[in-house]
Amino acid sequence: MRRIAFWIALAILLLCVLFPLYWVVATSLKIQRDAFAMPPVWLFSPTWENYAKVLSNGVFIRAFLNSVIISLSASVISVGVGALVAYGLVAQDEAIKRQNEKFVLSLRIAPPLIFIIPTYFLAAQMKLLNNHWIIIGVYAFVNIPFAISLLITFFEDIPRELRDAAKVDGAREFTIFREIFLPVALGGIVATFILCVLFTWNEFFIALVLTGRDTQTLPVSITSFLTFQGVQWGPLMAAATLVMLPMLVLGMLVQGQVVRGMSLGSIKG
Amino acid sequence: MHDTTRYFYRPVVLLFGAISAVLTLYVVWLTLHNISLLRPGRESFIGLDNYLRLLTDGRAINALGRTVLFTVAATAAELVIGLAISLLVDRDFRGKRIVRAILLVPIVMTPVVVGLTWRFLLNPTNGMMNYALSIVGLGPVDWLGDPNVALFSLLLADIWQWTPFVVLLAMASLESLPEDPQNAARVDGAREWQVLWHITLPALKRALLVVALIRAIDAVKAFDIFYIMTRGGPALSTETLNLYGYISAFTNFDISYSLTIAMVLTILTNVALLLLYNLAFRAPKQGQA
Repeated sequence: MRRIAFWIALAILLLCVLFPLYWVVATSLKIQRDAFAMPPVWLFSPTWENYAKVLSNGVFIRAFLNSVIISLSASVISVGVGALVAYGLVAQDEAIKRQNEKFVLSLRIAPPLIFIIPTYFLAAQMKLLNNHWIIIGVYAFVNIPFAISLLITFFEDIPRELRDAAKVDGAREFTIFREIFLPVALGGIVATFILCVLFTWNEFFIALVLTGRDTQTLPVSITSFLTFQGVQWGPLMAAATLVMLPMLVLGMLVQGQVVRGMSLGSIKG
Repeated sequence: MHDTTRYFYRPVVLLFGAISAVLTLYVVWLTLHNISLLRPGRESFIGLDNYLRLLTDGRAINALGRTVLFTVAATAAELVIGLAISLLVDRDFRGKRIVRAILLVPIVMTPVVVGLTWRFLLNPTNGMMNYALSIVGLGPVDWLGDPNVALFSLLLADIWQWTPFVVLLAMASLESLPEDPQNAARVDGAREWQVLWHITLPALKRALLVVALIRAIDAVKAFDIFYIMTRGGPALSTETLNLYGYISAFTNFDISYSLTIAMVLTILTNVALLLLYNLAFRAPKQGQA
């Protein structure tokens, strides 16, 4: 009896979690008439016409490319800088390490509003609002603290003897970093990189303010579907599916690290 | 031997320190003026007038109240529901790994898409939510158009997205708990709810406080679903302080005033966090996991 109750509760839970997602994907595969039918159409023959519409939309493709370029560049910078800093900090005494880590992470508690408005104001005066580098720079600035603290946890797992042995052999710090730390912690570095991509790809507020016509990312671009008279739910849901699908895949790849990374990303920061 | 490792972190830490110091001073300086992009070239020093204006701005006060309400309600609901679910799935069963993977889905989903999804589900005429209600003879509810309901609808979307986060973190702490005290209590004849209340929950306290802090910080800053689902409407009924700051800056182009709002929001958040943090971690650390 208890077992049955457990399975029923679990089924309800999964239904609540998955139904909204299923409904988005299902709607994206329906023709316009079915998408808005009441009572809802449960059985339908899937059509790709919404996807065809979205994928032939130049603005959407452009935003897709922007999202790829911006999130990859910002994440490469974040992980590159983060790895150097993490390497330096892991070599310090516990107290110095914690103190610096705490300081860097404390910068992230502030709401983005407070640094985005001055950034916008300055960028507007320098005519940089439609420039990829401004948004890449801001995303790197936001993700570096996160990358540092996550990478520290991976670097700490590397036995000190490895580093000491290399030093005895006369290796320079940068050589140790490149030849020992990077390869040994590669899994952690890749996970950190993927999480940075995930955060950047999903980010909306900063992108909304700091991107212009040519640099719009997907979350910003998708809102343009909303402003027209009467929302085109079919194509909108197809676009939404295309935006989130890569992140679901990435999320599954780094499953174990997502929650760990997110709690680092926001608490201490 | 000269240790060169400090060159790996010092420059970056110093740069971050310098940028945040300069930015803070710049923000303070801007809030003491009346800079508006609508009146270029006519800005002047006005001292603390922006802060005084904020004190008497009913719209801001209401927005602050909504921010507090949303933050407390979202954090509490996610914590309670998340804890209940994590206790439910804290056992060995087939497919536990799959359940864990499924719970990850809302967390990694793009927040803008979450907002769109719920806007779609809550559509008053064609949404699934009202259809489901109509089956059991209720409704229809104007989820996003009724000022008394809209904030609740946003809460619903936030709870859907972030409760799984609480579940996954609580599951991890539950799994790391030693089982001996619980079993000993059971042997002594304690009922399940007594074991839960006196042993399991105190042991989880620290982990739950951390989760609560994380969720509270994020709820204060919540923007995406608000922007997508209601944009502060209807009749300002879902406008939080964060959103009001955004609208002041990018709809009214009132740069100085919006920064004053952002400044006050930041200060209040930090004070609240410090208080919470001290309450949580300075208190006797009983049952630390």
